[in-house]
Amino acid sequence: MSGEALVFWIFAGLTLGSAFVVVLSRTLIYSAFALLVTFFGVAGLYVLLGADFLAATQILVYVGGILVLLLFGVMLTHRIYDLDLRSETTQLGSGLIVAAGLFVVLSAVALKTEWPNLARLPAPTTAPIGRLFLREYLLPFEAASVLLLVALMGAAMIVRRRRTA
Amino acid sequence: MSELTRSLNAFRPELALLVGLLLVVLADTFAGRGRQLATRLITVLSLTAAFGFAIELQAAGTRAPLFSGMLVIDPLGAALKLILVAAGLVTVLAFSFRNSRELAGLGHGELHTLVLALVFSCLLLAAASDVVMLYLALEMVSITSYVMVGYLKGDRLSNEASLKYILFGAASTGSMLYGLSLLYGLAGTTSLRGIQEYLAGGIPDANRFAVYAVTLLVLAGFGFKIAAVPFHFWCPDVYQGAPTPVTALLSVLPKAAGLAIALRFFYGAFSIPERGPWDLVGSIDWSALVMLVSVLTMTLGNVAALTQTNMKRLLAYSSIAHAGFLLMGIVALSENGARGLIVYLAAYLVMNLGAFLVVTLVHLHDGSFDLRDYPGLYRRAPLLTLAMAFFLLSLVGIPPFVGFLAKLYVFSAVIEQGQGVYATIAAVNAAVAAYYYFKILRVMIIDPGNEAKPALELELVDQLRLAALALANLAPLFFWDWIEGWARGALVLYAGR
Amino acid sequence: MIGLQHYLVLSAGLFALGVLGLLTRRNAVNVLMSIELILNSANINLVAFSRYASGNLGGQVFAVFVIVVAAAEVAVALAIVLTLYRLRRTPNLDDASILKG
Repeated sequence: MSGEALVFWIFAGLTLGSAFVVVLSRTLIYSAFALLVTFFGVAGLYVLLGADFLAATQILVYVGGILVLLLFGVMLTHRIYDLDLRSETTQLGSGLIVAAGLFVVLSAVALKTEWPNLARLPAPTTAPIGRLFLREYLLPFEAASVLLLVALMGAAMIVRRRRTA
Repeated sequence: MSELTRSLNAFRPELALLVGLLLVVLADTFAGRGRQLATRLITVLSLTAAFGFAIELQAAGTRAPLFSGMLVIDPLGAALKLILVAAGLVTVLAFSFRNSRELAGLGHGELHTLVLALVFSCLLLAAASDVVMLYLALEMVSITSYVMVGYLKGDRLSNEASLKYILFGAASTGSMLYGLSLLYGLAGTTSLRGIQEYLAGGIPDANRFAVYAVTLLVLAGFGFKIAAVPFHFWCPDVYQGAPTPVTALLSVLPKAAGLAIALRFFYGAFSIPERGPWDLVGSIDWSALVMLVSVLTMTLGNVAALTQTNMKRLLAYSSIAHAGFLLMGIVALSENGARGLIVYLAAYLVMNLGAFLVVTLVHLHDGSFDLRDYPGLYRRAPLLTLAMAFFLLSLVGIPPFVGFLAKLYVFSAVIEQGQGVYATIAAVNAAVAAYYYFKILRVMIIDPGNEAKPALELELVDQLRLAALALANLAPLFFWDWIEGWARGALVLYAGR
Repeated sequence: MIGLQHYLVLSAGLFALGVLGLLTRRNAVNVLMSIELILNSANINLVAFSRYASGNLGGQVFAVFVIVVAAAEVAVALAIVLTLYRLRRTPNLDDASILKG
C-alpha cells in the first residue's frame, strides 16, 4: 500500500471511528472528546488533499474555537458535584435504518456519477485563497463580518443575565 | 476596480442598511437618554433610504452581475428587494415598544440592529447568484432570525421555540450544504451561471441520480426557510414563542427571501428562461416535486389552522398555507408565475402584517392571544374589528381586496400552464381557509361575551397604523393600473451575462 | 490509489452518522455535535472536489465560509442551550415539550 493510501486510511479510520463515538456514546464528555479526534482527522484529510490553509483553519477554528465552546456547553449544563454526564439515545433502531439508507444512497451517488476530472495538484493555497477573498469572493468575505457581528451580539444578548427592567 | 464601483452603485439599498446598522450600534452605545428615539429614527431613515434606492433600481431596469458574479441585478430581483425592504419598513413603523407588551424591557438598539441585519441579509439572499453567496446569505438570514426569536430570554416558551428553531434549521441548511457541495463537484464551479451552463449542456445519464439527490437536499434548505412541508415543524412553535412583532417580521421576510432564492435557483440554474418560456431541456423536471410540496403545505397549513385557538399559532399555520399558495408561482414554470409570486408576496405583506398588528393590539389591551377572548370586540373596538375584517377578507382572497388579486395572478398562471388539477386542489384549499378566517370574524362580531369589558382605547397612532394597512389591502381598487404595470415591468429574470 | 470516490464515500458515512445523531440524540449539545459532523462531511466533499474534479479553489473558499458559519451557529446555539438550562435545568430536548407540534 502506498504511503498516501496508508495515511488516508489512518485518518479516515480516525474520523469515522470517532464519529461513531460522538453519535453513540452514552457519556457526553466522551462524545465531546471524540469530536475533537474527528476534527483532527478531518484536518489530516485536508492536508492530504493539499488544502493547507484549510487544515490550519480547521484546527484553529473548529478545535480551538467551536470545540472549546462545546466543552463549555457540556460543563456548564451539568451539576458539578453530581457528575451526571449521561446522554440518552432514543429510537436507535429507526434512526439506524434511516442513516444506513442515506449512506447507501449517497455512496451510490458518489460511485455512480461521472465526476469531472480536472485535478488540482497540491500546492500552497494560502496566497491564492487570499487573492480569491479579495477579488472574486469579496462580497461574501465582507458580508461575513455582518454575520459575525450579529452572532456575537446575539449570543451575548441571549446569555447575559437580564437587568431588572 | 471599475467593476467594483459599478457594483457598489447598484448596491445602494444594502449600503443604506449597513450604514444604518453601524449608526444604530453607535447610537445605542453613546446616545444616553435619547437612545430609544435615536435608534428608532435611524432605523426608519435607513429603511426609507433603502426603499428609495430600491425604487430607483427597479426604475433603472439594469440586468447585470455584480461583485464578480456573486450577486445579480435584474428587474425581478429589484421588485423582490422592494418588497423585502417594504416589509422591514412597514413592520418597524407598525410595531413599537409602546404597542407590543412582549417587547417590554428589551434593548432597543439590539432589536433594531437585528432588524436591519435581517433585511440586509434577505436582500443578499434574494440576489445571490453564486452558491457561496447563497449559503452565506441563507445562514445570515437564519442566524439573525434565531437570535431574534431567542430574544425574550426570560420566557421558557420562547427559549424552547428558539432552540428547536436553531437545531432544526442548522440540520436543514447542513443538508442543503451537502447538496450544494455535490453540485459544485458536478459543475466544477460555484457560480449559478456556470451551473446552469453545465445543466443545459446535457447531463449524462449516470449523473441524473446525483442531480436528483442535489435537488432534494437543496429543497431541504429552501423548504425550511419557507416553512414548507415537511420542513415546517418549527413554525407554529416559533411564531407562538417569539414576540409578535418579531413573528410578523419573520412571517414575511425570510419567507420572501427564501422564495426569491428558490425562484432564482430553480429558474435561473435549473432551467433556461432565455430559450423561450422556461425551458427545462437538459435539466430535470423539478416542478412536479415542488407541486407536491406546495399541495402538502397548503393542505396541512389549512387543516391545522382549523382547530387552533391561539391566534399566533393560527396565523402561523395560515402562513404555512400561504407558502403553499406562493409556491404556485414557482410551479407554473412561466413569467406569469413569477409575476404572480411578486404580487402575492406584496399582498401577503399587507394582509399578514395587518392581522399580526390586530393580534398585538388586542394583547396589549386585553392580555390575551386566545380566540376565545375575542368575542365582543366589535362593540369594544369597532375600528379594530373593521380593519381585521379587511385583513381577513384579503387573506381569504375575496375581491376587491389585494388578496384576491394575488390569488387571481397565481391561479391564472397555473391554469395557463394546463395544471388544472393542481389549481382545483388549491381552490379547495382556499375555501377551507375561508372557514377559519370567517370564524375569527364571526367570533369578533357576532359571538356573545365580554359585555362587561370596557371599550378598547386605541392610541391615535395605532388607529392610523390600522387604517393605513387596511387601506393598503384595498390597493387594487385605486391602483390597479399601476400594480399591473409594476408587475409586468418586473418580469425579467437575469440568468446570465 | 486513493481517488475522489474514497473521500466521497467517507463523507457520505460521516453525513449518515451526523443524521443518526440528529435523529436519536436527546441532549441538545449532542445534536449540535451531530450537526457539526454533517457540516464537516460537506466540507470534505468540497475540498475533495477542489482537488480532483474542479481544478479550482472555489470548493476550498466555500469550505472556509462554512467554517465561519458553523462557528457563528454554535455560538448562538449554545447561548440558547445555556439559557434553557438555566430555566429548566435540563438541556434535553424531549423535556422541551411545552410547545407541541
